[in-house]
Amino acid sequence: MILDVLRWVGYGIITYFILMQLYLIFLGLMSAVAMRRTHHLNRFGRVGDMLSSQTSPPVSIVIPAYNEAMGIIESVRSMSIVGYPRFEIVVTNDGSTDETLQRLIDGFKLERVRIPYRPDIPTAPVRAIYRGRGSVDITVIDKENGGRADALNAGINAARYPYALCTDADVILDAKCLVSAMRRVVEDRQRTIAVGGNIRPLNGSKVELGHLIRSEVPKRLVPRMQVLEYVRTFLASRPAWSRMDALPLVSGAFGIWKRSAVIAVGGFTTGHMGEDMDLTMRLHRYHIDNKIPYRIVYEPSAVIWTEVPDTLRVLKRQRIRWHRGLMTAVRDFLPMTFNPKYGKVGMVTWAAMFLFEFLAPIIEFTGWFLIPLAFLLGALNVANLVAMLGLALGVGLMSSLLALLLDESFGYFNGPADTARLVVMAFIENLGLRQLTVAWRIRAIIGGKSTRTWGNMERKGVANLGLEG
Amino acid sequence: MSEAKKVLVADDSEAVTTLLVTALEMAGYEVTIAKNGNDAYEMGKTGSFDLALLDHLMPGLLGIEVIARWQADGYEIPVIMLSGVDDERTIVDSLDLGAVDFVRKPFRLPELMARIRQRLRD
Amino acid sequence: MNGTQIALLAVGIVFTVDAVLLLGLITLKAVHRQRMESHDQRRSAFLGVLSRRVSFPLHTDYIDPKVVNDGAFLDAVIDLRNTMAGPEIETLAGIIDRYGLVKQQAARLRSRFPLGRRLRAAVVLAEMGDESSAPVLIEFLDDREPEVRIQCARGLGRMHHTPAIDAIIERFGQESPWVRSRFADTLVGFGAGAVWSLLAYVRVNHDHDEGNEAVIEAIRILGIIGERDVGPALIDLLHRFRDPELKIAAIDALGYIGGPMAVTPLIGFLDADDWRIRNKAAHSLGEIGDPLANDALRRGLEDANWWVRRSSAAALAGLSEGLEVLHQALHSGDLFARDAAAEALADCGELGRAREREEQGQATDADRQLLGFMTEGALVP
Repeated sequence: MILDVLRWVGYGIITYFILMQLYLIFLGLMSAVAMRRTHHLNRFGRVGDMLSSQTSPPVSIVIPAYNEAMGIIESVRSMSIVGYPRFEIVVTNDGSTDETLQRLIDGFKLERVRIPYRPDIPTAPVRAIYRGRGSVDITVIDKENGGRADALNAGINAARYPYALCTDADVILDAKCLVSAMRRVVEDRQRTIAVGGNIRPLNGSKVELGHLIRSEVPKRLVPRMQVLEYVRTFLASRPAWSRMDALPLVSGAFGIWKRSAVIAVGGFTTGHMGEDMDLTMRLHRYHIDNKIPYRIVYEPSAVIWTEVPDTLRVLKRQRIRWHRGLMTAVRDFLPMTFNPKYGKVGMVTWAAMFLFEFLAPIIEFTGWFLIPLAFLLGALNVANLVAMLGLALGVGLMSSLLALLLDESFGYFNGPADTARLVVMAFIENLGLRQLTVAWRIRAIIGGKSTRTWGNMERKGVANLGLEG
Repeated sequence: MSEAKKVLVADDSEAVTTLLVTALEMAGYEVTIAKNGNDAYEMGKTGSFDLALLDHLMPGLLGIEVIARWQADGYEIPVIMLSGVDDERTIVDSLDLGAVDFVRKPFRLPELMARIRQRLRD
Repeated sequence: MNGTQIALLAVGIVFTVDAVLLLGLITLKAVHRQRMESHDQRRSAFLGVLSRRVSFPLHTDYIDPKVVNDGAFLDAVIDLRNTMAGPEIETLAGIIDRYGLVKQQAARLRSRFPLGRRLRAAVVLAEMGDESSAPVLIEFLDDREPEVRIQCARGLGRMHHTPAIDAIIERFGQESPWVRSRFADTLVGFGAGAVWSLLAYVRVNHDHDEGNEAVIEAIRILGIIGERDVGPALIDLLHRFRDPELKIAAIDALGYIGGPMAVTPLIGFLDADDWRIRNKAAHSLGEIGDPLANDALRRGLEDANWWVRRSSAAALAGLSEGLEVLHQALHSGDLFARDAAAEALADCGELGRAREREEQGQATDADRQLLGFMTEGALVP
């Protein structure tokens, strides 16, 4: 009797993973279809036209900054040359303890001004506001420390334009990213309230004088594994989610948000470790509850580059933080999960987030103990077990290869050696790296002292990537 | 017998560089090409050029940034800015920084060549 | 077959698919690379040949007629076309004509599918900018694919083919917002040549009960083009508009169109019932910059609506003698007027300059008053 139960549970666990990978493959195929059309438009549609267009809506680039004295000037300057007709830069100095503010004042000839700061979203107290007197349209908010979400909210409060690009100080923007993303807004001005962008790890790439010269897959394994993860989600998942009109997450590192919509739902949630996922879902909930037509989309050609954790230690902190953010979100949005009232968001993408992203580490962890136990007790047939594990591995490989194929068809980023490295990565990540991430997420669930969010790598706004398997 | 004058052409558009190289070489100048701002800056430091034609929007350093860095490092290279970006600020900034001329893209080839010949005559 | 065999069969299938995918990836990579390199090489070669032809028309490098089928040749032609503005365009136009490029691309445009090829043909025609392609482009303004329509309009705009203006405006109202905004760009590109057709469009279509977005867009375009001659006609229409949104758009446009004729009517609108109209009127008076408006804007500082006060103050900050008005307003009996004036003085940099002068010991009375009015560190909610 017990043996039967063990057998079903054992096979059940493996079947769960096979189903998850099949779901990913389904998403990948849908992403391929979704991207094919926009690919034509990007190659031949001359998105660059919008660069000189006077009908493009102006954008406020909102950047939270905490102790960024080292690179803040370079960052802001590199953002200031992004290709777009009309935009402003709003930097929030979130109570830095170093010379971030002074560097900004000196570097951009800032002048303190008395501008009404309307806290449409409540934030920590604002100490002063500065405006630049040079050629860059820059506003700096100096406020008391409140965390990344709070800093973003302050920036959004002070932003002059109807759309805000929320990003981070050390992100490198591709020249066309703003035009590509805003194109999605202009397509459907009335309804579009958020646009997500495509994030690629910068590690290992050649950056000179603040500009990306050539992208390369990193030599170290830890960042290289993340390149694969990012390709899987940003090329094989998000386009599909977007097509289904059910994008559950617009990344914090690059998100265009309609200011009025963000203010209507109260801005980013402070102290939340997945504030971007939280805001996206709240926007869904708000607009569905109030029957307001809306859409949240993802644009694969809006590319930006950012540093990802280089070592296991930093990666661990990041993953624990992400998972805690996910846990909070799962709890907050439980009423939406599998709720037909919330359409495809509730029934498909958020349900999948709960089922595959949240439950996966628990189920896998259980499997680590249960399956060997079941096997030892003779409940599992060797051949069956091997076959099913093989199946799980094979299907997992399939979804990775599909993602790499999509990258090749629509991304053109990597040389042949780079692609080879990523393929090898798809094999070897199952030899321990992936298991480590599972262990970390279990750690996150168990809880205990949560680390402070505002630290070196932790303040990265890229919340949960979505299904990683 | 004077040496051929050396010209640096920096633009990421191959059409621009090919056209200019063709016209300049036929006019008897020695031409070097840079495809991005960083290369332009490096070449300018070592090349002892008599004139530089810089695009503004290039990968890497912008045309304006190249001029600024050359000035800061003490290299005196006469620069003609060649740019499709024709907002006033860029023009003013580049002339302020030391460019001797500004030509809008798309440009009229005979006119551009005349200006170049004039610069290189002095 | 028992369960194990099925499972093993499944594993076999899956790994076969994996192998196929892997093979596909490698092949795709290799093919891409090879194609791109070859394309780039050919393009470079064509650029060289065409450059020599253009610089020295008597040069006779032979160009094989078969190149018209080569995408690299088309790219070279387009790229070169985009860099040139002078008489050398004639040489390129001659080449385009001799090799029948327009006819060839038009044929591709006419084919049913695939979308990529048709779109590329439209883009090529648009960027070659050859007058002979105008009839085709006008014909395909009605294509079922929105991106093709956009490129056709774009091409007509680039060659400044004025007969197409009416055709584009005719279709303005039926298009989706995205296409309409791209058409708007094209119309802006036509400049002064388009304003009378736009005005006619507004005149005919403004009286509908709903769906005025296209008309609003047309008015915005008039503002961007900024052709002064159209001012009086627009003012006349302005008084006939029923929809407040249209009024607001027109008042905004007048700010950029300017002209002495606009000032008096705009001053009149500072008394409108709708605060949005008063707000826009104040803003536009600031854009025009005629000191005639000073008195009316002074009254605007005491408006009940915050936005109107702010716009009035900001407008005054930009007007000659307007700064004086603002300084005087610091003494106004109306708290809101004082506040609006102070904000505007801060916004326009006057506060900063006052501070600098004080630091250098050169503060004027007005400066000291201003500084005294401001509370350090306090921010208006």
